[in-house]
Amino acid sequence: MTKAMLIDTSICIGCKGCQVACKEWWNLAPTKTTQVGTYENPLDLNADTWTRIRFSEYEAGGKVRWLFMKWGCMQCANAACVDVCPTAALKKNALGFVSLERDLCNGCGYCSQACPFNIPRLETINALTGEAKATKCTFCQDRITNDLIPACVKTCPAAALGFSDRGKVLATAKTRVEDLKKLGYAEARVYGESELGGLGRVYVLTAPAAAYGLPEKPEYPVLANFWQNLLQPFGYVAVGATALGLGVNWVLTRRARLGDVETVEPET
Amino acid sequence: MASIAIDLVARGRQALVVRFTAAERLAHWVHFGAFTVLLGTGLFVYVPWFQPFATGSAGEASRLAHRIAAVVFIGAPLIYLVFSPREFFYSLKESFAWGKDDWGWLRNAWNYYTHGHAGTMPPQGKYNAGQKLNALTQIVTFALFTITGLVMWFGKGVVAPTIFMWSVVIHDLSVIATVVLFMLHLYLVAAHPIHRESITSMFEGTVTEEYAQEHHGKWLTERVYRKRGENKT
Repeated sequence: MTKAMLIDTSICIGCKGCQVACKEWWNLAPTKTTQVGTYENPLDLNADTWTRIRFSEYEAGGKVRWLFMKWGCMQCANAACVDVCPTAALKKNALGFVSLERDLCNGCGYCSQACPFNIPRLETINALTGEAKATKCTFCQDRITNDLIPACVKTCPAAALGFSDRGKVLATAKTRVEDLKKLGYAEARVYGESELGGLGRVYVLTAPAAAYGLPEKPEYPVLANFWQNLLQPFGYVAVGATALGLGVNWVLTRRARLGDVETVEPET
Repeated sequence: MASIAIDLVARGRQALVVRFTAAERLAHWVHFGAFTVLLGTGLFVYVPWFQPFATGSAGEASRLAHRIAAVVFIGAPLIYLVFSPREFFYSLKESFAWGKDDWGWLRNAWNYYTHGHAGTMPPQGKYNAGQKLNALTQIVTFALFTITGLVMWFGKGVVAPTIFMWSVVIHDLSVIATVVLFMLHLYLVAAHPIHRESITSMFEGTVTEEYAQEHHGKWLTERVYRKRGENKT
């Protein structure tokens, strides 16, 4: 059964407890930050920060609102990162999340370039030798495969986060959106129901997606499955056809030579 | 190898002309070595069957080998340029000089390489049309391999993701083009029932005058004889 995370931005208080819980469960090093005039920190995801709260100001109808949104791997159904991964370190799990096996990762970084949400970050161990490991949120793959809920959901003091069967999560999100509309949030909507085949994160938003820094229509990159669907088979066909052509030439040439008694050469 | 030995014995009695300088041969074999390592380690990522070699400590080793070989690969033409600049620029110019005889060679190539009808082939320069095509492809893919390889090595997060992904695609297309040529090249020098002397010249540097006359007549006349002050044709 596909699971999903509910992220209700209308309830989130921006406490960043989820960020801390994630770091604690995965034993991730803290990131040194500098004050640049926002409560956001760190300012971006990194190899040691797999989830973070984005703070954005949104002005509508002469009122400024402060929006909080938990950011991290969307666990797309059509995951471009899985398609470009040459070592199968990234896989789609039956529970709906994109698993990451660190041992299999060879640090190529294709996933970090193909992700429509710019999520996977490389932990660069040696830039010269290219030694690196991809990092991202896996919905706590170790916890949820053992009937626990993700660490961030577990810790959320406002209960803005939920984790359940995707169908239930969607139903809850839709009911909540209806309630928010009644409360006057005309722009309230669900995000993640059908984007990229359906996201593992289902958001309840109270403003347009762009106001949160979410792409309105995230797109699967055209080149992401080009390699598996076109380049690989094309390469095999090209090599096969060449081998066949050379084989035919060898047989024909040998026959022609053997028929010509004067020029027979010793064969290898 | 037996055939090469036979060639060498036969060559002992014939007049030899220098076709490849020491720098040309060294650059060729360094390029060959680097290309082979790059191809082998690259296939680990390209072909799903080889995935075990692309992960874990095998993956670490192959990734490092790929990068070291890449540096050697990029440096190989420098050997040619620095130690044999005359031949370097002559060969470069030759590769881009296409005329009637080149098209004629290509038209008759299949017939020639299948039946050995030497008489049908127009006279060729230092490189025949097939070798020119190989050289041109090598030049183009060398540039593509180098640029896209450096983008993949150092460009993550620096260039736009689309440029990065195109680099992967172009790198792979270059592999397919060069592998097909590599197979053809290996076949013609090492397995083709008629031609043996070409590979000897890449080891020894020399070809027999008779071979040069038959396969690279224009070159023999215009370069070898003229250099010697002879006026043979």
